[in-house]
Amino acid sequence: MQNHPSRPSDAEIIRRIIDGDVNSFEYLLKKYQDHVLRIVTKHIPHNEVEETAHNVFVRAYQALPGFKEQGSFKQWLSSIAVRTCYDFWRKQYRSRELPMSYLSERHRDWLEKTLSNESDLSFSEKSRAREAGELLEWALSKLSAKDRMVLELVYLEGFSVKEAADLLALSVSNVKVRSFRSRKKLEKILIALIST
Amino acid sequence: MESLSQKLTVLKKILCQAYHEKENINVGDQWQLNVMRRIRNLGPVQSGPSFFVLFEQFVWRLTPATCLLIIIGAIIFLKLGFFPDYDVFTLFINDTEELSLAQLF
Repeated sequence: MQNHPSRPSDAEIIRRIIDGDVNSFEYLLKKYQDHVLRIVTKHIPHNEVEETAHNVFVRAYQALPGFKEQGSFKQWLSSIAVRTCYDFWRKQYRSRELPMSYLSERHRDWLEKTLSNESDLSFSEKSRAREAGELLEWALSKLSAKDRMVLELVYLEGFSVKEAADLLALSVSNVKVRSFRSRKKLEKILIALIST
Repeated sequence: MESLSQKLTVLKKILCQAYHEKENINVGDQWQLNVMRRIRNLGPVQSGPSFFVLFEQFVWRLTPATCLLIIIGAIIFLKLGFFPDYDVFTLFINDTEELSLAQLF
């Protein structure tokens, strides 16, 4: 694809930044902020999205000299965004500051109604319910940071094992094993929840 | 009553759908300004690798040679029989009249 003559290419902007023109980074920030926010919103709780996206751009700025011009900047930035989300969960897991360590009666009632066909809501209405999102968050919070990210990328977002491995900077075999194990772990969590 | 596996399948579908229902967040101009302020505070990026990166590369490059030197040194010491404590002890046992412990220190 040919670049617009008036718009500089990403590579050109990056060269300018590396040469000391810090303000040129604003161009990349404006161009890719929606893309980064979309990635971060998928993986991080809403109240932490702005700060995490902020950190993504700071990390990208600091790592710019290591960017190889042969690859796509968007892909490179996506990888930084995913790894920043992974670091967020790693810190949370280490400090055990999990967003929700138990389920309330409200969640249990919703689950019971939803699974026993008592609910009159359609499938999409059920999935849009606040309880569905919170229940998913609760189940995912039981997994380690790495398991969680692999599961989200491979099973929930539909990335291939190779793509997930590239984004997380892990080996393909590691992601393959981890994605299988994490899915089994999540199933166990959900079975225990349904059975009680 | 539905079986456990059927319930699990339904729940998985609902949760998977719930994951995709997450709403996108729109950040305001203030967020952009904050990011750029932070970037400006960091200053220009270093075009070349930093001193620590270079030092790390240098140290790792020398690691095989250092290991080899340690092994050769150990072999030489073993071959020469360099055991100072043992030598002093033998001397002390065999020649008690000439050498007292006080002379050693």
